[in-house]
Amino acid sequence: MWTFVIRSVLQRLVLLVVISILAHSVVHLAPGEPSQVDPSNPRLKPEDIARIREAFRLDEPIHLQYAYWIHDLFTGELKSFRDDQPVLPKIWRRFLNSLPLFVCATLIVWTLAFPTGIAAAVRRGRAFDRGSTFLAYAMISTPGFFLAYVLILWVVDTFNVPVIGMRTFGMDAGSPVNYWMDRLWHLVIPSAISALGGIAVLSRYVRSQMLEVVGQDYVRTARAKGVAEDAVIYRHALRNALLPFVTMFGFLIPGLIGGSVIFETIFAWPGLGRLGYDAILGRDFPVILTLNFIAAVLTLAGTLVSDVLYAVVDPRIRYD
Amino acid sequence: MRIKRVLILAPLLLLAVLLQSYLWVPTYDRQARGNRARLRMYVDASIGDAQILNPVLSADSASSTINGQVFDTLLDFDENLELRGRLATEWEVREVAYLLVNPEKRFPDGSPVTGPALVERLRSALAAGNLPALEGVLTGVTLLPPESRSTSIALPATDAEGAPTSTEVAVEIDVPERVELRLSRVDQDLFERLAPVIGDAYAAGFPHERFVRVADAAQRPALQARLPELLPVEEHNPVIRFRLRPGVRFHDGHAFSAEDVAFTYRAIMDPKSLSPRTSDFEPIQAVEVLDPQNLRVVYKRLFSPAVYAWAYMGILPKHRLDAAAMRAEMDAKNLSEAARARFGLRDMPFNRAPVGTGPFRFVEWQTDELIHLRRFDDYWEGPPEYADYYFRIVPDLLTQEVEFRTGAIDAYGTLPYQVARYRDDPRYQSFSSLGFGYSYIGYNQRKPLFADPRVRRALGMAIDVDEIIQYILYGEGERVTGPYPKNTDWYDPDVEPLPYDPEGALRLLEEAGWRRNADGLLEKDGRIFEFNLITNNGNPIRRNILTIAQNAWRKIGIRCNTQLFEWAVFLTDFVNTGDFDALVLGWSMGLDPDLYQIFHSSQTAPQKLNFAGYASAEADELITRIRREYDRDEQVALTRALHRRVAQDQPYTFLFAQRSTQVLDEKIVIVRRDADGSERYEKIEPVKGGRIAFHFNRWRKLEHAPRF
Amino acid sequence: MSAAPGHVVAEPAGGPLRASESPLQQAWRMLRRDRLAMAGLAVLALLAVAAGAGKVLTEWYVVFDPAAVRLPEKLRAPLSVADAERVAPEDLPALGIYLLGTDELGRDVFARMLQGSFVSLSIGFVAVGISVAIGILIGGLSGYYGNVKLGFITVDTLLMRFTDVMLSFPTFFLILTVVALLPPSIYNIMIVIGVTSWMGTARLVRGEFLSLREQDFVVAAQALGLPERRIIFRHMVPNAIAPVLVSATIGVASAILTESALSFLGFGVQPPDATWGNILADGRSFIFDAPWLFFVPGAAILVVVLAFNLLGEGLREALNPKLRSR
Repeated sequence: MWTFVIRSVLQRLVLLVVISILAHSVVHLAPGEPSQVDPSNPRLKPEDIARIREAFRLDEPIHLQYAYWIHDLFTGELKSFRDDQPVLPKIWRRFLNSLPLFVCATLIVWTLAFPTGIAAAVRRGRAFDRGSTFLAYAMISTPGFFLAYVLILWVVDTFNVPVIGMRTFGMDAGSPVNYWMDRLWHLVIPSAISALGGIAVLSRYVRSQMLEVVGQDYVRTARAKGVAEDAVIYRHALRNALLPFVTMFGFLIPGLIGGSVIFETIFAWPGLGRLGYDAILGRDFPVILTLNFIAAVLTLAGTLVSDVLYAVVDPRIRYD
Repeated sequence: MRIKRVLILAPLLLLAVLLQSYLWVPTYDRQARGNRARLRMYVDASIGDAQILNPVLSADSASSTINGQVFDTLLDFDENLELRGRLATEWEVREVAYLLVNPEKRFPDGSPVTGPALVERLRSALAAGNLPALEGVLTGVTLLPPESRSTSIALPATDAEGAPTSTEVAVEIDVPERVELRLSRVDQDLFERLAPVIGDAYAAGFPHERFVRVADAAQRPALQARLPELLPVEEHNPVIRFRLRPGVRFHDGHAFSAEDVAFTYRAIMDPKSLSPRTSDFEPIQAVEVLDPQNLRVVYKRLFSPAVYAWAYMGILPKHRLDAAAMRAEMDAKNLSEAARARFGLRDMPFNRAPVGTGPFRFVEWQTDELIHLRRFDDYWEGPPEYADYYFRIVPDLLTQEVEFRTGAIDAYGTLPYQVARYRDDPRYQSFSSLGFGYSYIGYNQRKPLFADPRVRRALGMAIDVDEIIQYILYGEGERVTGPYPKNTDWYDPDVEPLPYDPEGALRLLEEAGWRRNADGLLEKDGRIFEFNLITNNGNPIRRNILTIAQNAWRKIGIRCNTQLFEWAVFLTDFVNTGDFDALVLGWSMGLDPDLYQIFHSSQTAPQKLNFAGYASAEADELITRIRREYDRDEQVALTRALHRRVAQDQPYTFLFAQRSTQVLDEKIVIVRRDADGSERYEKIEPVKGGRIAFHFNRWRKLEHAPRF
Repeated sequence: MSAAPGHVVAEPAGGPLRASESPLQQAWRMLRRDRLAMAGLAVLALLAVAAGAGKVLTEWYVVFDPAAVRLPEKLRAPLSVADAERVAPEDLPALGIYLLGTDELGRDVFARMLQGSFVSLSIGFVAVGISVAIGILIGGLSGYYGNVKLGFITVDTLLMRFTDVMLSFPTFFLILTVVALLPPSIYNIMIVIGVTSWMGTARLVRGEFLSLREQDFVVAAQALGLPERRIIFRHMVPNAIAPVLVSATIGVASAILTESALSFLGFGVQPPDATWGNILADGRSFIFDAPWLFFVPGAAILVVVLAFNLLGEGLREALNPKLRSR
């Protein structure tokens, strides 16, 4: 077991290096220049551009640029081209903004998907099952921004409350309870929208897992023994159906950094997705690369965690 | 079953917790109407965040908006777009000129030129009225003794790999005797006017090599051609003298003085600052502080737009950013030696928490969410009416509009098709005004296809610009005929726009040798008339122009392919390299009349702004004269001549200047206070140039819509 | 690594199986009973007709001209009658009415939707084709030759680690980066979506191959000395194709959605090509002034993507023998 973990970690470290080199080359070899050296700015003279390029080390050979990037990243001296802010604190602040959205959406997904999926499996082929199937697919079939706009217009027209942004403006006088409830309200709609797809996918998955398990011999045996239907479903079947979901916790980790550009743009939410998107548009190489690097670390950590969890919960899997 | 109950209760509980928060949130009505504090707040919105809140370093429009509230400039523009004083109360432009004594030269009467003789003759000519144009202008003539100075000059070279680079060469200059001429105004023709005394071509044949020494003899030949630049025989030094406003304080209470202006200049020129504004201030030779209220800015050469730079540059507080402050910052951060060597203005925390002398002081900046400013009570012009200024970042235009309609944002810049809807809505006041920009179709004149001005004119005549204005801009635009903003004096209103005349276009093309072939396509020497028209994506108006131009040209037998590119790709791959046929773009112009970078033939190389490759000797001459002319009436005459020249050559098809329409809540008014303290309300009106926020410091929102 | 739960090909389950039926016929019978899936199939059949008609009627025999600009007739509501006085006769829409209204340049939205149906659908199919091809190749190699060593590393580890690398970039981010850097042609978008979405298929195929490799008929074929190519393509791929088909069906749906998301950010297919995604994205700014420009393409995408998803779900059920007819 431990040798397996150590080997996996080492493999992933090698992978990380490969990924970072790949990402670095793609970003630097692609067309486009950081917006600071945008020559369409009539105020910039070629000498100024040369100086800025030098400060950004854009004229160094690419492998040296890579070395500088890695060096600066690990010494914490990496600065964004856009505003000269240190990259890591910049990403951290955005992460703190994205985090509540992620947590809230994940909670909604995981609490709603299980009862829906189980109920659909139990009532297989009946109206609830077909209704929930249809609804689930309707949710993942709508272009996200279409749904978001429709929902925003509806809420604003019907309830006459603000939904855009992280908080209401100009209400400084409120008590702390007011403040936090206001923050919570601004979370509800964006996280509900971003949870929709997750609910659909996960509840379908729960349903098919349950169906798979319900067909197994031991469940039939339990039924034959006259165990109450609820007990069959929730005690015998559910426990086994849950197994693969344990591993899914691993895959949650990379979601931490994958904020949605589209929802963050629509809801004016200053999260990671927009940070990355703006960085791509402005060719802010340090930010793009660092975000990519962190995403890779988290994904690899996620697959590691899920592999290990799988080994822990499923004794049939053995590792040499 | 416990598990079952948990599974069903958990989501219900979660939803209940989430949804109950609705009850705590103020509805828009309560925020906007029942809340008096809201009336003292101004909430603006922008699709992009500011980059850096330091006027020396910023280049984006969001930063400029905030910097404009936090910092003051020495000058700005009044209701009629004339310069007016802000931190400076008075300013005067004078000139000091220098004339070297040319020992090789003889006066027109044949006697040799010497220093004392030159001064004597100049003085007597002036006294005798032989220099009428300089009467009352030339106020002093002095002979200066020889002096030595050392300097350096950048010469082109090649580096180890053969790539072009430059080397700095140190030179010693023994400046000979020279005459200092003091003028009460700048005169670019000064030395021509002195011809009765010094003769024509006075500067010719000056023995520069006798006065310039270079340590590295190998550089001598390369230096030869640059000698007149190092030691000009005739030199203009415009001088601006500023008298500063007394009693102005920064937000932290520190008094504002001439030292701060000098510091701001040094901060711009400091190479470590990487300031995008250096080219505006590069013509300055020295900023001299005379006393805390007075300073002199001496320029190296004639460059009339230079004074405008002071109208855009906010003044930094020296005490927050000078060497001592930087040292303190470096110590606080405990930086390594290497990091200290690189440390500069860009690394100061000031750039995210600025301190200026402006009407609002900085409070908070949440990146990509909001910037919060508060009224500065000691503002020299009296504090603004609004207590708080919020700048929200709402990147999506549709949600921005939703927020505006619900009252969570106070101002909204409409898209053309929304203008009518808001104009007719009694809840809003809307202002439509012509900005300083224009849109055009630019042709790459390096390509033989577009080298003939008749072809460019014909292409323009085939497009119905009025139709574009009517339907794409919903009437929110005006035709332009030339390169200057339409609402400035530089623009010549008498130039006629190109007529919409496809038949005439075809005749012109026929003159240029293009005939319709069997397929109805234009053909010349076996080649059909085909090219690519490109623009950047993300701009629906440009995209529509693309479609309309394509359609219009198809009708006269021209095959035009259209493509859209992402902005950065568009610039690097097409515009900067000059690798395109034709493009749709816009310029947003400044208020100065300088068009050197956009239309001068020296600016056609890759990476330069004359990417259309326009080259006209006549235009070049006009552009250079405009830059050197300090008299406004003269300038207007010159710019109008330039406008006519460019309109004749049609390097671009000039399309339109878009009107921008701002919508405000109807309850926002200008508050005037009478001597007895009572308030009067005035309706907001835009001033010249379409600036509605000119009286922003007097704006306030009322509880009820006022009647005027 | 994780062993996929054994996927059995022809386990006789309880219920009335007719001996004469091939597995395909069984699946079809199952599918026909699924009303949602059949509804999806019907919608898709209609869509196929529309796409074909779109190609023919907007490009070859121009009945509906999607490119005709009629500025005086901009933003007309659906079903409004064209004004013959303001429009040149050759620009009049077919039947003289704008079925779905006009956009801000007076182009016929119906004609553009028709043209877009072909483009959107081909983006979906080509992208999925690319992704399935790569997925089968990588998954198949990894599953069949998994134990072959290349130096110190097995083929399986190498390929699966490569899959991990691809998964490590947040997909949408990757697409954005690449699309921002490539010229925005319709082919590039197809390729980019395809090349960034094969990882799921590869894992699926690998899992199938791992279990198929142990099956009797494969072992027997190997014992008989059949060429590997034949074993792989005649025996294993057909048996592994069912789950791939399901994921491909759903993949088309998500490719159409991805294209519309890219259009939202301005990186989708660029004019003059119309896709449902860019019609929707351009229409959003007119939501108050010309709502049909937003709701027509939005609803169309919803219906079609839903149809693909429901059909995919139906196929999953029909092709999964373990769940059959209980």
